[in-house]
Amino acid sequence: MPMKTIKIKKGWRFNIAGKPNTQEAVMLPQKTVALVVDRIPVKLRLLVKEGDAVNIGSALLADKNNPDLKFLSPGGGRVSAILYGPRRVIEEIVITLDAAENNESFAVFSKETLARTSRDALISELMNRGLWPFLRQLPFRDISDPHITPAAIWVTLGSADPFQPLPQVYVKGQEMAFELGVRALKKLSDRVNLCWYGDMPGDSRFINELVTHRITGRYPATDPGVVLYHTKKTPAENRDWYIDGQDVMRIGQSLKTGTYPVDRIVAFSGGTKDNSRHLKTRLGVRLQDLAAGLPMGPHKQWVAGGLLSGHGTSQDRHLDVYSTSVMVVDVSRQSELFGFLRPGFKKLSRSRALMSAFSSAPLPVNTDMHGEIRPCINCGYCAAVCPVDIPPQFTCKAIWADEIEEALACGLLDCVECGLCSFVCPSKIELAETLRTARKQYHKELHQGA
Amino acid sequence: MLKRVETYLRGFFDKNKRHFTEGGRLSGLSSLFEAVETVFFTPAIAAAKAPYVRDGIDLKRFMSMVLLALIPPLLFGIYNTGYQSLAASGHPADFSGAMMTGLKIVMPLIMVSYGVGFFWEALFSAIRKHPISEGFLVTGLLFPMTLPPTIPLWQAAVGISFGVVIGKEVFGGTGRNIFNPALTGRAFLFFAYPARMSGDSVWVAVSGAASSAVSAVSGATPLSITTLAPGFKNFEAQLEQAGFGLMNLFVGFYPGCISDTSALCCLIGAIILMVTGVASFRIILGGVIGLCATSFGFGLINPAPLNPWMNINPLYHLAAGGFAFGIAYMATDPVTAPGAPASKWVYGFCIGALTVIIRVMNPAFPEGVMLAILFMNLFSPVFDVIEIKVRSAGRIPNV
Repeated sequence: MPMKTIKIKKGWRFNIAGKPNTQEAVMLPQKTVALVVDRIPVKLRLLVKEGDAVNIGSALLADKNNPDLKFLSPGGGRVSAILYGPRRVIEEIVITLDAAENNESFAVFSKETLARTSRDALISELMNRGLWPFLRQLPFRDISDPHITPAAIWVTLGSADPFQPLPQVYVKGQEMAFELGVRALKKLSDRVNLCWYGDMPGDSRFINELVTHRITGRYPATDPGVVLYHTKKTPAENRDWYIDGQDVMRIGQSLKTGTYPVDRIVAFSGGTKDNSRHLKTRLGVRLQDLAAGLPMGPHKQWVAGGLLSGHGTSQDRHLDVYSTSVMVVDVSRQSELFGFLRPGFKKLSRSRALMSAFSSAPLPVNTDMHGEIRPCINCGYCAAVCPVDIPPQFTCKAIWADEIEEALACGLLDCVECGLCSFVCPSKIELAETLRTARKQYHKELHQGA
Repeated sequence: MLKRVETYLRGFFDKNKRHFTEGGRLSGLSSLFEAVETVFFTPAIAAAKAPYVRDGIDLKRFMSMVLLALIPPLLFGIYNTGYQSLAASGHPADFSGAMMTGLKIVMPLIMVSYGVGFFWEALFSAIRKHPISEGFLVTGLLFPMTLPPTIPLWQAAVGISFGVVIGKEVFGGTGRNIFNPALTGRAFLFFAYPARMSGDSVWVAVSGAASSAVSAVSGATPLSITTLAPGFKNFEAQLEQAGFGLMNLFVGFYPGCISDTSALCCLIGAIILMVTGVASFRIILGGVIGLCATSFGFGLINPAPLNPWMNINPLYHLAAGGFAFGIAYMATDPVTAPGAPASKWVYGFCIGALTVIIRVMNPAFPEGVMLAILFMNLFSPVFDVIEIKVRSAGRIPNV
């Protein structure tokens, strides 16, 4: 199949210190793993209680509305704690690992048996072995609805965000499993689009045979929502599915070996060259285990899932199933004399109003807002970076005025939650948070109506 | 040295903060305290929501860039005001003498503008409990730069009060105003006190030896010459004779408002604004294109005009009458300009076109650019709404 090249013009190419290098270290969970529940976008029913013994692949949770959709244990041992957050929402199911962990076993599939399996049988197989949640659906990024056949499934291989793991690191040696995973996806949709980022090196045979789209451009060019926005022709494509390249491998491995594979390659960044690399670890690892042996001060913000698109977490929590990137950022505490008059050689900025615009060196970052909240002055910086052509300043004003129809017309559901609008705003308005909350709210209303 | 200053200031703010917090003696002035403190110290607030990393630019930086871009026309304005004053009173005008004379005329105006305007800002902030906005730093400087040097200080105070209160605060403060506050104040003075804002006798301030009051001498501005005098074959030659050759109009050594005579300095400022991305190049270029196209068009359709400005080389329109100052600093105010990209082109173009139309069709208002910008301010929300509707209609629906 001829490869298509898609160039994404808007967005931002950021150059931040602490880019993970291609070295790979093994960092296994030390005592516990957990299923992080509050990042799963469905209503759940608990299947275990504290003290139960579980294997790798035992079901811990099921979807309340669809009991076939299961969420499996990432470790073998005992359920040592079920942690609740505010309003009795389950946050995590923590499993204390045994020295020798047992695996649940599932049916083994080869290319041939897979070819004979029907679509429905494959769907129930993937649900039963806890792999279905990895397939997600645009635009709300919830778990794919098995009752529809999507126009396409988008597979992301590599990211325009340099803090995400590189496919040449995680695919290496797993090409067979990946191919089997792609075969399984092709059962679910006629079109499986594999998107490879830029001209990253990789096995040329692998790229030539499997990859269908080459994506170039700035962050967040590789986000499936961005690629879909720039390729879609009809509204029918809005509900396309997507999956990360690593999880396609997971499907392949599971079918091949009949287990629930729990390996996870994570791009870890501690902010400097010395503590940033690829880590071979497991699903649900405790975050501080990833930084074992690295000096970490007390005032740190942990971010999982990407520097700009990720969510805040803490070192005592565990890795959720969707995040492939973990970063540790200094919390800002230093006020600066005449900060706004200084040339700003070391301050990260997309604008050209700071001297760092003339430097190409990677800049260190912290969580400083670099200013206070002010009214919107309609400068248009947010609209200039939005990769899906939403005017965030007007869309947010529509949301604040409860004009949801207007926000939808501006493209609220095309939003990929990349965080760039909040990042660039000189008035420090929480635009991304506003859009995120409005999308969530709209999703909830749609589902309650149904 | 800097370290010691920093420690001292930090201690000063920490010690006095308690008076301005809830329950303190001066808690009503907390926004004032906060404004002063953040001028000295960046606040170091940690992001509480994703994304956890934020851009180094803030509104203080944004507005500082405008102030930086205002330095060339400000310095030139001070010099030119002093130079014109000395020349009119027959004194030798050396550089330092001109600067000193200019400072004596201009500084009181700037101080009054900042002082009175800041009073209104602080008052509204204290009552409404919102932070004092940095935008005022720009308004407070822009306003006096557009006044004739002979303006009485009390009129400047009235003008900035009108600009800040009616032009901005009644709409809800920064970000919500419809009209550019500095221009609103100027327009108010223009219509309320026309004798002090227009005519031939207000553009040069002369300090008489006998009296300490500022008086004025006669001196026309280029746009007020609206008839082709007998004996001149073309209007350009007449302007040249009156001291308004194209080169001088561009450089700016002629009587006028304090800072709007030099298109060159405004060009330098405009380049700073466009390179740093603080002002929209679309508005500035759109305005220049609109002005040139319209004046070129007028030249085509009317070979024997009533007003000789109608078929003059468009470059004269570009250089004269404060158009450069208006389009670079006033039209690009993001709050009162449209936010959508195509609208910015249209908005700029309309300002340029309207400036020429007002100038040539109604010679009573040589202030074409001021009225053009205020008029288009009124339309910028309409442009935005239209562009958003058009763009939304072009999207593949996703609901």
